[in-house]
Amino acid sequence: MTIRVDPERNEMRALKGACAWRGKKVLEIGCGDGRLTLRLASLSPRLIHAIDPGAETIRAARKNLPAGLAKQIRYIVGSAGELNYPANSFDLVVFSWVL
Amino acid sequence: MVHALREAHRVLKPNGLLLDLRPGPVHRRIGVEVDGQYRQLAIMSESLEDDHAANQAVVEVIQKGWFKPVSRTQFGCNRVMRLKDFRGWLADFPTDRAATQERLIQTVERASELDGKRKRLVVKGPLVLKVLRKSVS
Repeated sequence: MTIRVDPERNEMRALKGACAWRGKKVLEIGCGDGRLTLRLASLSPRLIHAIDPGAETIRAARKNLPAGLAKQIRYIVGSAGELNYPANSFDLVVFSWVL
Repeated sequence: MVHALREAHRVLKPNGLLLDLRPGPVHRRIGVEVDGQYRQLAIMSESLEDDHAANQAVVEVIQKGWFKPVSRTQFGCNRVMRLKDFRGWLADFPTDRAATQERLIQTVERASELDGKRKRLVVKGPLVLKVLRKSVS
């Protein structure tokens, strides 16, 4: 299925203007196949942990991850209700169409 | 939803930001774009209960003092697809009104047959981005 979401990139304009991203450690919850994750990487955060409960979805996201972003993005199977991270770990948490 | 927000609060650094990005609680509009011209065909009747529940959860965590609101931005977001993808996309919306969904599909299919060659389906609906700051107690 090929669906182009937000070809006008309004979403990215809003996210870019919402806060400072450069050098931040980001947790994206509900990354799906990484559509938004790859766009967020262009805002120069230090690291993005992108989680989604679907193992198959995460496999697809990893497959789509360009080699040049492999150090910046980590795709992990995980659930919003039980985050496997210590307290005070992230500068930004993004709920990506999941709440 | 409140539990997920509490988890987000836990893993955020003091003064860290939570960005809640999701579709606004508005029925989506479906249309065709032919040679760059948009023509609306229908308005979806999807349930907005989850959207309202999510908004309520955000209000609740602000009232609890876990987060402070920083900003709210609403903007348009289009999804562009071919007719053959429309059914699959629509199936992602849980509904107890299958007949309504089927009518919607028929409306879109009829319009697509009538229009010219350079056509594409466009689903329009706003996105809302809320930014909340983790409160430091």
